[in-house]
Amino acid sequence: MLQIANLTKHYGQSQKGITDLTLQVMPGDIFAFIGHNGAGKTTALKCVSGIHGFDEGEILVDGISMNDNPMECKRRFAYIPDNPDLYEYLTGIQYLNFVADVFQISAREREERIAAFAADFEITGALGDLISSYSHGMKQKLAIISALIHEPKLLILDEPFVGLDPKAAVILKNKMRDVCASGGAVFFSTHVLDVAEKLCNKVAIIKDGRMVITGDMNLIVKEGQSLEDIFMEVACDAERG
Amino acid sequence: MLREVKILAKLSLANIYGLNTFRYSKDKKEKNRKRLLICAYVFLLLTAVLYVSALSIGLCTLGLSKILPAYLVGISSLIMVFFGFFKAGPVLFEKKGLDILKSLPVSETHIVISRFIRLYVENLFLGIIVLMPGVIVYGYMVKPGAEFYLVGFAAALFIPIIPLVIATFAGGLITYIASKVRHKSIISTILSLILVVCIFAGTSMISRVEGQLNDEMLQDMALIIEDVFSKVYPPALWMGNAMIGKGAADCLLCFFVSILIMTLTVWVVSRKFDEIVDGLSRSYSRGDYEIQSLESSSVLGTLYKKELKRYLASSIYVTNTIIGPVLGVVMSAAILIGGVDTFISDVPLPFDIEGVIPFVLAATFCMMPTTCTSISMEGKEWWIVKSLPISSKTVLDSKILFNLSLSLPMLMVAQCLMIIAFKPAGASLVWMILIPVLMLVFSCVWGIAVNLKIPVFNWENEVTVVKQSASAAIGGLGGAAIAIVLALISAFVPDELDTAVKAGICIVVAILTTMLYIRNNKVDLKTL
Repeated sequence: MLQIANLTKHYGQSQKGITDLTLQVMPGDIFAFIGHNGAGKTTALKCVSGIHGFDEGEILVDGISMNDNPMECKRRFAYIPDNPDLYEYLTGIQYLNFVADVFQISAREREERIAAFAADFEITGALGDLISSYSHGMKQKLAIISALIHEPKLLILDEPFVGLDPKAAVILKNKMRDVCASGGAVFFSTHVLDVAEKLCNKVAIIKDGRMVITGDMNLIVKEGQSLEDIFMEVACDAERG
Repeated sequence: MLREVKILAKLSLANIYGLNTFRYSKDKKEKNRKRLLICAYVFLLLTAVLYVSALSIGLCTLGLSKILPAYLVGISSLIMVFFGFFKAGPVLFEKKGLDILKSLPVSETHIVISRFIRLYVENLFLGIIVLMPGVIVYGYMVKPGAEFYLVGFAAALFIPIIPLVIATFAGGLITYIASKVRHKSIISTILSLILVVCIFAGTSMISRVEGQLNDEMLQDMALIIEDVFSKVYPPALWMGNAMIGKGAADCLLCFFVSILIMTLTVWVVSRKFDEIVDGLSRSYSRGDYEIQSLESSSVLGTLYKKELKRYLASSIYVTNTIIGPVLGVVMSAAILIGGVDTFISDVPLPFDIEGVIPFVLAATFCMMPTTCTSISMEGKEWWIVKSLPISSKTVLDSKILFNLSLSLPMLMVAQCLMIIAFKPAGASLVWMILIPVLMLVFSCVWGIAVNLKIPVFNWENEVTVVKQSASAAIGGLGGAAIAIVLALISAFVPDELDTAVKAGICIVVAILTTMLYIRNNKVDLKTL
């Protein structure tokens, strides 16, 4: 579903960014992307979602090159940033309608999907209000609905649980599982290691822009260990090494 | 009290004109953008210095040197009111970072004073730009004593205060009224436009008084200008006269009054501060929405609608970009109502005025196109368009289309009025229609090209983009400047070459527009 090969992206002359990142997200995967603050997670996600260009490497979404055919790639995924800066001058429903227009979803389908997702996340009543009046959590819910509206094959999420209330977090986890059950995949960054351990079947840990470990969750986290133990171990090893 | 104000003022002044960002940013692109902005500022500064110097030399040569200091104080005050009006509300009642400030042991008065200090420093800088060349010219041509420079220095420190108070009350009152209503942006836009048109009408009335003067009245000109100042803005006269050794008491009174009204203004704003800030950030939510039938649009259509809503949500964006077209229509209506003959006698020029009217119209409509800031106005929401499957061409087309749909109808109205007034025939009629339309399309595409080159996305306040960005300065004034240059070329071309030159101009503008448009569409938005 998503192949990242030798991805390198640096900001100007600085060493900040990512170097030679390689990973693969298969259909059905819920893939956790973990690292310290400033490790390069957001940079990698922004390269994958076409927001940033990159210096070297290749990104394939469903076998299509991000460099050669970004429009086709973007039709297949949805991205939600760590901070949901949405068009504050639109109402919630206008924003969802805007996204539905971009993906050319028929009027009937968008009405059905918006009604269902908005009911799930309990924000139907607020959809007529300006986004500027929303709390952080409500904006996050709206961003999630807008990401699900075109039934993407790949969900790319940057810290998706921040600001969500416990019920919304459970609903989001279920939606992530639904995407995977229908043959799609989810690639997301998080600092909540407990959630990653329970929810994901694959994990990658990066430090200072370089991959330090990646693979199946159950192979990396052995019996009697937690993802937190592995993260601390790997992070400290990388610091020593 | 002083310690708190000093700390807050230091914070408020830290990033004045983006200097702190320029100093510490490690982003090469950001640094280059700032360098370009500095170049644009230097260009505008040189233009202002040249204009003031020429005006000062002119007044001294005409024997009107004694009115020059008052004139300089008057001009600088007017500029301060105009710029301060747009900035006062956003700077004084800025919500960003206020929660953190209010959690610290500082009062509203401390915050308000520190923000006034920032506005004062900006006004002081504007005042120095206007005063300095005039003072140098006066010093060189009149050779006054040390008293002139001493009073001038003191006056320079006090000049910004009264304009700042006027701008605060005008801008603050509009902000206060807007904070009380649901449609803040619309109310704020309408009130701002009314005020700006009033300022333009007022200044044109003053220049009309001067325009009607003839040679015989030259000796009385100083008295007439003094009379105008005494009626419109007496402090300019008091400070100006004190600089040339007359009426020191009036000047001292003026200094005293400045301090008094500033203190009162700080007191009033401090008292209303929380109410206005809360009112501005208050959002009206109903929470009773039910899913209704939704309309679908094309991608271009939905982007266009988004542009329209973005535009209407920002009063400063609207005021800044609509003023050119509004003035174009008002000017055309004034010429039609006042009569072409009156207009020609009021503006005696050594060439056929009808021949340059298409360029004059073009200049007003090319002034500040929305496209020169519309990419920057996406701000932190720019990721949305970049991550969605929308081509660069569609995004940029929607911005051009919006600009044209805003300006073109007003241009057509202005053209109709001009055609009725001047009654052009044959080729003149073609130029009257074709040249402004071509120039308008060029300015839209030019605005996009400039904004693509020097966008600013990490802004906190719209004023930063609309008023203070390099893109607004270069993209906004570029089209108008080109129209003025073309007007000058056209004005001094012999009659027999007029048609050929104007046809040539049209072809060149059309080719340039097409080339720029193709080049813009090749830009990969993810590189911004």
